[in-house]
Amino acid sequence: MGPLIPLGQIASGWDFIIALLIGIAFGFILEASGFSSSRNITGSFYGYNFVVLRVFFTAVIVSMIGLEYFDYMGWIDLNLIYILPTYLSPMIVGAVIMGVGFILGGFCPGTSYTAIAIGKLDAIVFTIGLFIGIFIFSEVFPLIEGFYYSDNLGNITIGEMLGISNRLFTFIMVVIAIVAFYLTWLIEKKVRKTITPYKFE
Amino acid sequence: MNKNYIILFGILVVLSGGLLFLPEKNNYVEESPENLMWDIAQPTRYISTDQVAKMIIEKDPLFQLVDVRLDYDFEAFTLPKAYNIPIDSIITADASDILDIDDINTIFFSDDDIKADQAWVIAKRMGYKNVYVMKGGLNCWIRTIIQPEAPPETAPITEFELYDFRKGASSYFTGAEISIDSDIKKSVNIKRRKKENVAEGGC
Repeated sequence: MGPLIPLGQIASGWDFIIALLIGIAFGFILEASGFSSSRNITGSFYGYNFVVLRVFFTAVIVSMIGLEYFDYMGWIDLNLIYILPTYLSPMIVGAVIMGVGFILGGFCPGTSYTAIAIGKLDAIVFTIGLFIGIFIFSEVFPLIEGFYYSDNLGNITIGEMLGISNRLFTFIMVVIAIVAFYLTWLIEKKVRKTITPYKFE
Repeated sequence: MNKNYIILFGILVVLSGGLLFLPEKNNYVEESPENLMWDIAQPTRYISTDQVAKMIIEKDPLFQLVDVRLDYDFEAFTLPKAYNIPIDSIITADASDILDIDDINTIFFSDDDIKADQAWVIAKRMGYKNVYVMKGGLNCWIRTIIQPEAPPETAPITEFELYDFRKGASSYFTGAEISIDSDIKKSVNIKRRKKENVAEGGC
């Protein structure tokens, strides 16, 4: 029964080895899904390619459904899963900054590394900027520490916040995902008609 | 839209909708009846009121007290820092948050042994580890810790030591001052050291 490390099925020393293997698999899937292309990523913003939304939303709902069934079968105890604390306002600000970075740079941190792995120059430039950003954030952190830890809602799930069961929330998320898939498919179809493909001369 | 996508959507909806009809399942692993029978036969689940008093006074971080009486009894009187989980609430998720902590010994108590013992059996059956019962319950607590009786004069010295501890514990829990019997006059023999002769001679 899982989670494997908290319950001692696997010694905690294996954390980093497992993280490395999962990281490699994650990077491989990102690349295979076309996430090493900044055109694919920024396509969500311009409306001509919603592959990012589809891949991540699919991963989320498959994980949610899978974990709920695993919990029911007794293969994993969801009560033992670590839930990150929610700092609401800082997270909203962080998400906006991340979104701006996404559209400006064409990558998120993870996808920039997959793009470097296949030798993309724009990803190398992006990653240099990423490290400069990390450095600036580290230097400025003492000034924004109060805000960084503000609005703490604790280790809460959305189901708990809304007062509904996690299973019901999973179902709602699946419905939202399907509606989102359908709407983005409509948007894609409409926008692609108006795009004139660039012709290399 | 691609037909395959529509089939996949259908599968996702059926799977996620199926979750709503699954019965709630508890994650605890139940103790087998054989093991439970063996554990019930052992007296090791009992912890004396003296041990409990000592743990409270020493602020032992590795134990917690759980009062299994009803809430109005709990509000009227209980032990310091005890949680209240009435016996019919032990199987709830809220109780699990308190009872399902590794390395923490949980001691059940009630007015006597009966309810605490019942709570212990339920907790054991649910697979909770490190659960114990305060022997004699609060009745015994009052009798031994709050209002201890002096042992007869012919009692062994260990009884007197226990009585002294209980008196100290009683004052700790009730805030009463320890009465010092002023009638007993103790004679103090002062032995003076004889003056040593100053070393004669030298180098």
